[in-house]
Amino acid sequence: MANNSLRAHVKVNWNMFILLKLELEKLFRAKSFYLSLTVLAAFVALMLWGFYTYAARKTGGKAVEQFKYTYESKQYFNGLTFALYSVLFSFTLLLPIFVSMSAGSQIASEARSGTLRMICTRPISRASLILSKFLVSALHAALLLTFFIVLNLVVGLIFVGWGNLELYPGPLNLVDAPGKIMRDEALMRFAYAALSGTWALLVIVSLALLCSVVFDSPAQAVVMTIAVYLALYIVGRVEFFDQLRPYFFTTDMDFWRDVFKPDIPWQSLWHYACVCGAYTIGLLLTTLFIFERKDIVT
Amino acid sequence: MWLKVVLLVLFCLMIVGAVHFAEPREPEQRSSSAEDIHSLRLLTWNIGYAELEDDTRAHDKDLPAVAELILRQEPDAVALQELTGNAQLKVLLGLLNGKYRGAVAQQGNGDRFEAVLVKDIEAKFIPIAAGGRFALGASFQPGSDKHEILLLSAHADAFNAAQRRIYTEALIDWAQSRAQSSEVFIAGDFNFELKAANQTNLYTDNVKHDSESYSHILRYFRDLGRAAGDTAINDRRIDYIFGPAKLKQTGRVEVLRDAAVGRMDHWPLLVEVEL
Repeated sequence: MANNSLRAHVKVNWNMFILLKLELEKLFRAKSFYLSLTVLAAFVALMLWGFYTYAARKTGGKAVEQFKYTYESKQYFNGLTFALYSVLFSFTLLLPIFVSMSAGSQIASEARSGTLRMICTRPISRASLILSKFLVSALHAALLLTFFIVLNLVVGLIFVGWGNLELYPGPLNLVDAPGKIMRDEALMRFAYAALSGTWALLVIVSLALLCSVVFDSPAQAVVMTIAVYLALYIVGRVEFFDQLRPYFFTTDMDFWRDVFKPDIPWQSLWHYACVCGAYTIGLLLTTLFIFERKDIVT
Repeated sequence: MWLKVVLLVLFCLMIVGAVHFAEPREPEQRSSSAEDIHSLRLLTWNIGYAELEDDTRAHDKDLPAVAELILRQEPDAVALQELTGNAQLKVLLGLLNGKYRGAVAQQGNGDRFEAVLVKDIEAKFIPIAAGGRFALGASFQPGSDKHEILLLSAHADAFNAAQRRIYTEALIDWAQSRAQSSEVFIAGDFNFELKAANQTNLYTDNVKHDSESYSHILRYFRDLGRAAGDTAINDRRIDYIFGPAKLKQTGRVEVLRDAAVGRMDHWPLLVEVEL
């Protein structure tokens, strides 16, 4: 009996492994994966152009008189600052779109193309299917973010040069007083950001997966995910809704930026990481519950 | 089944973790006070009205309340902003029963004046030109203390961040040149908008100007009033008292939130320091 149980267990794990392998193949064969990488690379190019033209505009000619203190230190606009600005600007609005596209089409596109019924006839549980789809979408999010951060750092190094990461109050809203993170430590912080940012994006992944199960059209699933995300994000930026802001998951997702503060507020970071984790797993459980009872008619 | 059980356990762990790591709520009152230190007490207050009013400068009918607060708190020096002129200052000095001397800054392009009030009868008042505007400094010695104190009353442009920056740079340049011979304090309404999180723009020149102006000041001075919180309506901290970086100790630091009368949109900021 024990042997039969062990065999069943091994078979389940093997099936899961096969599922993941197939989903990964689908991911790397999809044009949308490479499209998202291309768009992110184009964004980096745009940011670089913006930095150069801004500096030239603000420090040339007459402006020199008015802006003689434009850069408190020569290190201010270095490659690390460039990477920081680029990542922070794009994270909130650009990355969630690609993540939604990937996760939102997982189940809905299979349903639309008629392959979902066939997949569900195989000897795998629906829960395993959902989990594999989720894990692949999560990997996609991680790859996108890591690629984006590394690209920004490399471009920053080549075109601007690295230095220490200088932080000032105001833009980016990271600090109340001027601060600095030394270069090597700053590079570690970018590595932390890849992890914390991926964790934050998992909320969008699970929301998109839920929409993918609820709606039979991938377009509907993606649009609904982005609509919910943007609605909460925009409303959270309007002072009318200051009281509601703490209850939006978009507010909790912002925790990932805390790794760039000179002193990382670890307690706050773990708190919001757990909140985002609760959203992710809660949405995933809801997805499982709905999908296991869903009548697949296409 | 096992997957759902695992996810359920993880979900519960996340909830427990979120509760465990939750930080206690900060009390809403953000003023802080420490032990009483009587070396030097400074007050800054923009006694004008919010910009929706017809005349946003200080109103004469509010001067008794302003005088009452000054007499109650007994600062060694007071920096005031948005007075209508010398005549209004004379009324205020009369209400202070001669306990303070004062002067207003030179008139620039605007219709309002900064002023400094000092207890020291031998205080000297110094006009300061800064980026097209004028500030006012007062040089005095508090009590029997031998320290020479220089308090600047400043008011940066309310609408233009680039102008604020020009003004701040000129003011700090002037203050720095005096810092060798005096303990320099700069007090007033700088109108820095540094809370970028509440703005709809991801990045603006205005925020950058204010950020760099504020950071430039912090290279040479300390922000003594930071712990006291917002100083104006709409959650804005735009009134500051900056002091020497090498101060021994700060004592009471407080925004007096029950002091505003009429349609004032600022509260006075009070700071005590030991030199």
